[in-house]
Amino acid sequence: MFSNTREGLALALPAAIFALLLFILPVGILLSEAFQSDAGWTLSGYTDFFSKPLNQTVFLRTLKLGVLVAGTAAVIGYAAAFSISNLSPVARGRVFGLVILPLMISPVARTYAWIVILGRTGIVNDALVGLGLADTPIRLLFTETAVFLGLLQLFMPLMIISLLSAMENIPRDVIPAARVLGANWFQVFFRVILPLTKEGLVVGGTLVFTGALTAYITPAILGGSKVLMLETLLYQQVNVSNDFVSASVIAMILIIMSFTANLLLKRIATARK
Amino acid sequence: MKNAISLSALCCALATSAFAQDKTLTISVYSFAQDEYKEILYDPFEEICDCTLVVETGNSVERMAKIEANASNPVIDMAVIASQDALELARKDLLAQLDVSKLANLSKLYSAAQDPIGDNFAVGYTFYASSIVYRSDLIKVNSWADLLDEKLAGNVALPNITGTQGPLTLMMLDKAAGNDGSDLTGVISEVGKHADDIVTFYSRSSELTQLMNQEEVIAAPVGRFAWSAFKDSPLPFAWAEPAEGQAGGMNVMVMTKGNGNEDLAYQFMDYWLSTEVQTKVAEALVDSPANAEVVVSDEIADNLTYGADLINSLNLLSPAEIIDNREAWVEQWNTEVIQ
Repeated sequence: MFSNTREGLALALPAAIFALLLFILPVGILLSEAFQSDAGWTLSGYTDFFSKPLNQTVFLRTLKLGVLVAGTAAVIGYAAAFSISNLSPVARGRVFGLVILPLMISPVARTYAWIVILGRTGIVNDALVGLGLADTPIRLLFTETAVFLGLLQLFMPLMIISLLSAMENIPRDVIPAARVLGANWFQVFFRVILPLTKEGLVVGGTLVFTGALTAYITPAILGGSKVLMLETLLYQQVNVSNDFVSASVIAMILIIMSFTANLLLKRIATARK
Repeated sequence: MKNAISLSALCCALATSAFAQDKTLTISVYSFAQDEYKEILYDPFEEICDCTLVVETGNSVERMAKIEANASNPVIDMAVIASQDALELARKDLLAQLDVSKLANLSKLYSAAQDPIGDNFAVGYTFYASSIVYRSDLIKVNSWADLLDEKLAGNVALPNITGTQGPLTLMMLDKAAGNDGSDLTGVISEVGKHADDIVTFYSRSSELTQLMNQEEVIAAPVGRFAWSAFKDSPLPFAWAEPAEGQAGGMNVMVMTKGNGNEDLAYQFMDYWLSTEVQTKVAEALVDSPANAEVVVSDEIADNLTYGADLINSLNLLSPAEIIDNREAWVEQWNTEVIQ
């Protein structure tokens, strides 16, 4: 495309300098703090972090909720994407608009909406008490369930968009052909749809899992200090304890978890070839 | 000649104006009620001193971190923080010992506010009582022990131990259990046993206001400074007067060591402590006065931590005790309560 590589490099240089100075350098300095002590380079920040029971609990809870949110989003996302992909072009456009609509609303507003729904005087409790299923309002806020629902609602559109994009690339006659040849819907999904949409699943899974790990507002509002996740713990370490070493350790753990999830999903997708 | 004189006068005026602009005092304060403070304190002081006041706001941790990071060349001249935070800064050798002879209004303060952390490293400017806010149409709170009572299970929020209200609440829970409130390890374990009955452990009073107005919580300990947010609510809230009494705390003024702006800082601190300013701040329901000469109406007093009788009756937790034990308390809290 370019007459020589210099032109290409020259065009990329401003963005590269921007990324180096304003992202890689400051993040690198911050993360390097997690490997430093007065005596020099060390891993003691990590061993100290994982030696504390609270941190172990928070790490496992974050991992569990990340996997649950990504897994549930994939199950619901496949069903939604499949039905949307079979709509007429006009209807598909409208439904797709509805899917991305939540992305245009602030996560803060979306999360506060859950307080209205899950609160003691919220819609869910009103219905439970009104139908006689509970004598008194049950505790839904500040639970893992509330955080799970909030995160699922927050990131579900990303999974649906990724899967829909992959599903639209499936040739239209492949699924009818599989059905004509005797495959049931279970076989059609695992032998036809899943292999042909694995790239979408990898992208969607990574986006949802990473998003669930790194979300702050939703776990902070719906979980509070009783359902700490790594991101809310990181905030506490900086703003309450002024402990930047622990905060750097948490940041590094979140980065490693995100990269690992992406590699794992790619590996699973490749293995199914 | 006339023109030359006019020109000289103009030059002098400009020079004076430029000199006034050069006099700058940088203060570090809590974020709340800044509009009221601007009107009552900052703007009048700028007129008096013919100087510029630079106001930095933020939470205590952020502001303390900034003071520590700029220890060799302070960017903050004076700050207002909780007494235990002041002691922590003093132990790190970041604060100047105050020359109290430059604070003419010091003698007007309640004695507890005159040298709250020792060695004149700080001077108190406001007291706050800490008790329990509750829904008076649903329950009646008579004791701090009610917070852990089975009858209120699932309806109570407690302050997190990392905030100023946390240790005060634990001290009072310990006293309600028949102890002296000095060793909090037992009461932290007790809270841990009831952790599932606590709705949440809040970090900011604004968070609690929201929870109580949404009817998620019907009783919680909170500082009196937050009472104004409850008293105007459509829900019936009451301020408990528990059998064990109310807890109390104090916010203080400090001056950073070697800031080079000491005279202006003393002038500002003394103005803040004056009867005039402390009365206006109290009447605006912003902060309760530490100046004993302040007189306010009964209606205003009802909303404040006001008067010698009340202030002398408060259960105080010594700043040194908080600093010496905070790390161990937080560790135990994280293991037995939050987890």
